[in-house]
Amino acid sequence: MPEAAIAEKTVELRILRYRPASDDRPSFGSFEVPYAEDMSVLQALQTVKDTLDGTLSFRWSCRMAVCGSCGMMINGKPRLACNTFLRNLPPGPITIEPLNNFPIERDLVVTVGDFVKKIESIYPYIIPKEPKTIADGPYLQTPAQLAAYESFSDCINCMLCYAACPQFGENPDFIGPGAMALLQRYNGDSRDGGRQKRLDTIHGEDGVWSCTAVGICSEVCPKHVDPANAVNQNKTNSAFDFFLRFLRKEGAR
Amino acid sequence: MSERRPYRRPMPPNWWAHAPYRAYTARELSGVAVAIYGAVLFAGLISLWRGPDSYDAYLRFLRSPVSLLLHALLLAAVLYHVVTWFQTLPKTMPKLILDGKQVPPQKITQIATLAAGACSLALLLFTLWVAR
Repeated sequence: MPEAAIAEKTVELRILRYRPASDDRPSFGSFEVPYAEDMSVLQALQTVKDTLDGTLSFRWSCRMAVCGSCGMMINGKPRLACNTFLRNLPPGPITIEPLNNFPIERDLVVTVGDFVKKIESIYPYIIPKEPKTIADGPYLQTPAQLAAYESFSDCINCMLCYAACPQFGENPDFIGPGAMALLQRYNGDSRDGGRQKRLDTIHGEDGVWSCTAVGICSEVCPKHVDPANAVNQNKTNSAFDFFLRFLRKEGAR
Repeated sequence: MSERRPYRRPMPPNWWAHAPYRAYTARELSGVAVAIYGAVLFAGLISLWRGPDSYDAYLRFLRSPVSLLLHALLLAAVLYHVVTWFQTLPKTMPKLILDGKQVPPQKITQIATLAAGACSLALLLFTLWVAR
């Protein structure tokens, strides 16, 4: 095939732009970039930034679905721009918007501060059940004990699950699927003893109880973490904790 | 240059009517059918308590075309609710680990749906046997 014929094929990107210094509200801008069979949406955005409009703002880093930076709404669905390929999208213009349910800082960049605070709030580290010195040797774990939490440790904090969650859209204070997956990663770990501390942070409407088991968070997760499972099994834990709190030994936390 | 003015896009009030949330909305609404069916059975219990005349009227209502149509619709909705309920089941329980491996959620859904089907069939056969 002659090279000119390849270069002629283009794809239209409709990108939601927002420049806080000059725009009252976001509006769509349209860009035409050369199409290539192996091109990701991220590469298309980089082409726009390099050749058409250097002011276009978006987050990205690893280009291989590990860093979780390039989450955005592509044709209305929350996806990572780096592992969404043009060839897999239906023909016609591609609509690109910042992640739903988050305040827009600029163009495709959203505010992540609240999400980071939520992650910090659930004690995202192992609180050893029994402190050991190095001389005591490592904490051992069976394959079954690893399997109990392993998928939850695959979260890359891309926030696609939050963009998919209508209850987070309704209540921005809802702790949400991503932070709950991280909570379950530690509460499900056989070496951890911080379960009670973490459960205390998730009672109430802003805890697990905003969730109505819509389940789309798990469907959009690029790492198959199944955050819906993390939220919903902790509704049971939260309910048990509420009813059994009188039986708990004082100072057990 | 560095002016910060985060813009919050409003949530559409009818988000539940749009894809991909429609399936969720249908699942939740089909729960209403379960409640209505429960109410129909409860009405039968009340008319049984009120006496033979009341119970005969209830049975006549059950045989009416309106009731048959209602029951056909309720059955369809309840079946949909059963299927989708068991699809949600694995999300609501702790991971099931057997032999160091996680049991796939689809497997849990399959077994639970089959068990529910078997129980319903057993109940149906038992009812037919009692009513014979």
